[in-house]
Amino acid sequence: MDKTSEEASSKGKKRQREQQPTETQTNQLHHQILSLEDNLSFTDTLVALRMMRAQFPRIDKVSIQPFVLRSQLYSSVKDRTQVDRELESLRREKVVRIFKLNTGQDDHAIMFLDDYLNQMENVVKRFEEKKEGDLDVFKWFRTHVINSKLEPSIEHQELYTLLSLGGMVKDGHISLLINGGLLTRQLIDPNMYWFAIPNIGSVLKGLSQGRKEVLSSLNRRRYKEMMLASMEKKRLRFSPLDMRFHLRDLIGSGHLKTVQTSTGLLVRVSKD
Amino acid sequence: MWKEIGDRERGILRPKSFTTRIKSNRIRTLQISNHKDIVSPHRASINSLQVDLTEGRYLLSGAADASAAVYDVQRATEYEGGGLIAKHKCLFVVDKQHEHGHKYAISSAIWYPVDTGLFITGSHDHHINVWDTNTTQVVMNFKMPGKVYRTAMSSLATSHMLIAAGTEDVQVRLCDIASGAFSHTLSGHRDGVMTVEWSTSSEWVLVTGGCDGAIRFWDIRRAGCFLVLDQSHSQLGRRPTIPEHSATNKALTSKSLSSGQNLNAKPRAQQRKLANGNGTKQSPVGKMPAKGSLRQRLHPGMLSSLDRATAHYGAVTGLKATEDGMYLLSAGSDSRLRLWDVASGCNTLVNFETVRLQGSKPIQLATSQDSALVFVPCMTAVKAFDVWSGNTSQTFRGHYEYVNSCWFSSQEQELYTGGNDKQILVWSPSRLIADEDEGPAQDRDNWSD
Repeated sequence: MDKTSEEASSKGKKRQREQQPTETQTNQLHHQILSLEDNLSFTDTLVALRMMRAQFPRIDKVSIQPFVLRSQLYSSVKDRTQVDRELESLRREKVVRIFKLNTGQDDHAIMFLDDYLNQMENVVKRFEEKKEGDLDVFKWFRTHVINSKLEPSIEHQELYTLLSLGGMVKDGHISLLINGGLLTRQLIDPNMYWFAIPNIGSVLKGLSQGRKEVLSSLNRRRYKEMMLASMEKKRLRFSPLDMRFHLRDLIGSGHLKTVQTSTGLLVRVSKD
Repeated sequence: MWKEIGDRERGILRPKSFTTRIKSNRIRTLQISNHKDIVSPHRASINSLQVDLTEGRYLLSGAADASAAVYDVQRATEYEGGGLIAKHKCLFVVDKQHEHGHKYAISSAIWYPVDTGLFITGSHDHHINVWDTNTTQVVMNFKMPGKVYRTAMSSLATSHMLIAAGTEDVQVRLCDIASGAFSHTLSGHRDGVMTVEWSTSSEWVLVTGGCDGAIRFWDIRRAGCFLVLDQSHSQLGRRPTIPEHSATNKALTSKSLSSGQNLNAKPRAQQRKLANGNGTKQSPVGKMPAKGSLRQRLHPGMLSSLDRATAHYGAVTGLKATEDGMYLLSAGSDSRLRLWDVASGCNTLVNFETVRLQGSKPIQLATSQDSALVFVPCMTAVKAFDVWSGNTSQTFRGHYEYVNSCWFSSQEQELYTGGNDKQILVWSPSRLIADEDEGPAQDRDNWSD
């Protein structure tokens, strides 16, 4: 599950059922088959989450912990209802946290709680270096809000009540949280704060541009389709995330569909 | 098939399960009908379809050119193609030329649930008309404050004949046919109301879905709504378990709400009449911090208007209750279809694989008998999903443009769909042409010369 094996990604064939990719890793001396076709389907949501977290591309400019998009899970596990329900139980057990992203309809990012707390620590460290303002609010946020509020959004009143369990809350504290990237507001409801992953801005921009790029590269072709193997070889100009990330996301959200052919998997733009 | 008939004869198979089996086999072979065609006189997109609930014989359609038409779906008006294709022309049309007809698009046309003597149309010209079917005259007219998006009448009602109207105004109005006046208004939504449906289990319960993404359940005998569906309250599966987390969340939110305002013991009867007053009172509570210098005095029944839970991230565009009244399906402009357990008010987390749903217009969903399948207009196709697992069972492609409404007739196991391409398409179980007789029976009597 280390990153070096992904970099040398060569293409293999998709195995229809649940062969664990861990078995192939023992053969990685011979061929580095950790491609998308191998890992397209998993049995279980947690297994899929862990594998995709391990395959998260390393971005040099921004230090960000791995996250998985919900649409990627839909493309990996066959039964979507099972994915939703397992995610819900994982969320309730505080193993993962779900964030609503503002890139398009119904985009959700899933991050393991430990990764999220690490990301928060990085933010706090950055603030400490700059010595801006009262940093107690981050501690209160971590102990009171994150532990008890498991939904992706929180109302203004509730945020105040929960933070007040730590100490006297002022408006400046909430601005600090927003500046740190931990909370954000979306157009849906002016009264509601949404939890967010800090430092994720450039990655989200890359996400939407990458999606457009992948779809346009397929749409430009005459028959709007391409072999999965050759798609994976392409490099994306506008996105720091790799092709595999985008392919999983687009297949899961229904923009692309895969067709099994005698020479391998074919990716086609779905017209619906 | 023969084995099943034999089993039924011997009593091994119960009659109800026999009919259910035959019906579901027929539904599985639904395809565009090769023997039935509805000739639509409309010159604009079709917004609403309904077959009458008493006989299942007359189809009422409402279109965007302010015309409403009725068709007989059981008897054809003429035959074509050597008697093989039955053409159903409309029995009558009421349109803009009618002296009391609507002036703008008709968004909703429904039958009076008791018999087909009356039908009700709601239109973007802010009016709801009640028509007498036999004379095609307007019997009653209600003026609404905004464009009417949906009208609904309860099919179970024995003690009231109220038309629930969802308009672009935030209040849902109930119009009484017996008296010709408005009986009450239901406030609580924060934006226009796109869909209204009566509950299939109680004649007093109304479900409304608004452009603010909230779904509210109202008991019309009391003030305020008694349930607001929240998409984050979920349960895993059909039967609700008792998770500690969601129970504590609910307790926490209710505590913070009650601490934020002063409950006034005296009911404020003016609350309902102050249409705009309600709206302006909500915003200060939101912006104020928990110090709560601005106390809001509310009738205890109106507390629900402060509940800002949303069922969808966009507007709620379609609602359909299952026949037993225990589950509710909702479609939203966030392209999600959700199944709710009404008793617990939770999202059952069934994932219906919808890529895109149109979000600007209300859409009409249909369920098959026993609510095992739900037919959803998804852009230019209609998809049938299995309600409990969310799998796509069939896709019906035939319309050239977006489909707005579909209606399933459980008597004939036929699906009628209407869309922006001005067509009403019929989808019926496949049958071989050779099996059927050749249309109108030939007169073979000896004495009729």
